Amino acid sequence: MISRFRSLYGASPLHLLVLLACFVIAGAGAAGWYLDSSDWHGVVEWFVAAMVVCDLVLFPLSSLVDRIVFLRARRAGAENGLAAAVPRRRALVFRVSAIPYVRVPALLSGLLLITFAPVILRRASLGFQQHTGNTNNVYVGRWLAITAVLFGLSALAYAFSVWRARAAGPQ
Amino acid sequence: MPLPELDPTRPPPGPTRPPPGPFRPGFWRSPLRGPSLTAVLGLVLLIGTPIVVITGLISNVAYQPLLGANSIGTNLSPLDFYVFTWPTRPVWLYAVTEGLHVSIGLALFPVLLVKLWSVFPRLFEWPPVRSPAHALERLSIALLVGSAMFEFITGIFVMQFYYPFPFFFTSAHYYGAWVFIGAFGAHATLKFGTMRRGLRTRGEVMEAAGVAPSGVSLSGASLTAASPAPATMSRRVLLGTVGAGSLLLLLQGAGGSIGGPFRFLSLFGPHGTAGSGPVDFPITETAAAAGITPEIVGAAWRLDVVGAKSMQLSREQLLAMPQHTYDLPIACTEGWSTMQRWTGVRLRDLATLVDVHEAAMVTTTSVQAGGYLVTLGTEQVADEQSLLALGVNGVDLSLDHGFPARVISPAVPGTHCHKWVSKLEFSPVSA
Repeated sequence: MISRFRSLYGASPLHLLVLLACFVIAGAGAAGWYLDSSDWHGVVEWFVAAMVVCDLVLFPLSSLVDRIVFLRARRAGAENGLAAAVPRRRALVFRVSAIPYVRVPALLSGLLLITFAPVILRRASLGFQQHTGNTNNVYVGRWLAITAVLFGLSALAYAFSVWRARAAGPQ
Repeated sequence: MPLPELDPTRPPPGPTRPPPGPFRPGFWRSPLRGPSLTAVLGLVLLIGTPIVVITGLISNVAYQPLLGANSIGTNLSPLDFYVFTWPTRPVWLYAVTEGLHVSIGLALFPVLLVKLWSVFPRLFEWPPVRSPAHALERLSIALLVGSAMFEFITGIFVMQFYYPFPFFFTSAHYYGAWVFIGAFGAHATLKFGTMRRGLRTRGEVMEAAGVAPSGVSLSGASLTAASPAPATMSRRVLLGTVGAGSLLLLLQGAGGSIGGPFRFLSLFGPHGTAGSGPVDFPITETAAAAGITPEIVGAAWRLDVVGAKSMQLSREQLLAMPQHTYDLPIACTEGWSTMQRWTGVRLRDLATLVDVHEAAMVTTTSVQAGGYLVTLGTEQVADEQSLLALGVNGVDLSLDHGFPARVISPAVPGTHCHKWVSKLEFSPVSA
């Protein structure tokens, strides 16, 4: 009986039970959207957009930027492995790959930008200034400053790694 | 990137032969992806998400949506049930629950993004549907991803006073949370074993040794790239970056929530101050934004107090009543809070003044044109620390802080502490 169910359904009855519970609870939530007086068409549109925004926009875009920025390094890396992901003639000095030291601050800066885009790009409501008594235009400066600090710290960390690799001598 | 194969002798794409592009395992080359990465991120989300969900539901209870004017919607959903009323102690209760909701929510955002990235190839698994079980599970994943991003995006936008959507935030965010709770519960249940295996085993080691990870009958191919590109960054650095990102965002919420000397940490938080000296603390709405002018709340201003009888009181008459001073927080739904010393008349004294002696709710109105109504429950009205505040930190209220009078009540959301109050209507509740 159970094995017959398994072969028809593709998993145990418990799997079906868990998913049915999921759809009942989610359905009750969706019913709230529908029965609520506000715009449920808008909710569905935003829901679908939210569902695909990472897969169709964020990930392809960040992947593309990464590919363009590190094209040369990748090629070099493909030929010689991680250690030589820099121009070869200087490989002895720079045994440390610079890629993570660019990528990490860029990722953190990008995270702050997408999270706080409404205030950084001044998209927040027109009444923002009156609403909070705060001016809207300080945020872009703060974001640039944090970005500069992040890249600066990363550059220091890179310099330290290079110094350590040099101190260790050619291997 | 591998080019599409154009060999005409090959059979067309079918159930066993995926179409070119992302449907082929060779397309996904990042050496960072793998079961252990996904499992670590999944564990963090499994621990953090319940905190955000529970504090979110608590916030809804704190709004007392079933009372009088507070309804967030039509209250027709079976999910509009409330198992407890909102207490008035400790006074910082809402400041803490909402601070956690916003701060932990922000901290989980980068974890969610990288978790989604780690399972990105699964979107293109081939064949797309292998069994009814697989189809249903994929549908639940669609609900999970959609509701998670919906909740995060709407929450993060509103935190910044950004309302680009056509719907009412409060109810959409609340009902969206239930879609998320259903989908998250199912996913956590069905994937718990996969996560444990991912944590216990070093996925890379297993696959390097040619051992296929066990228990992937439903989830198809491994998350590990079939032909990985050379590593340019270690998995540890990626996880460190996620941690640093979480910390950066956590500070944005926590700085505004803890306030005081830590408020500067909230670099992107809307923590404008309204005035200087004793009235130098944050607000959500200035008098100018609310359309309040000194004339509207000048000498002609009167407070309507309605109960068994009606009265009109001037600010001088209110000042002549017994004054009480308490330290109470303003805790905004956006996550920031600030503790201040308020002085004013007890709400329960005002109830007595209009011959309401039994347990009563109060519905408050502000002079703001097109403003909203708020109802506070019997616990709030009866509490000795619930005030109609006339002053703060030893001085008169400033216009931005609600002059001539504002409601302040322990542990209620900031939006329920009406500023520029024009009317208090006490409605007795028969026990």
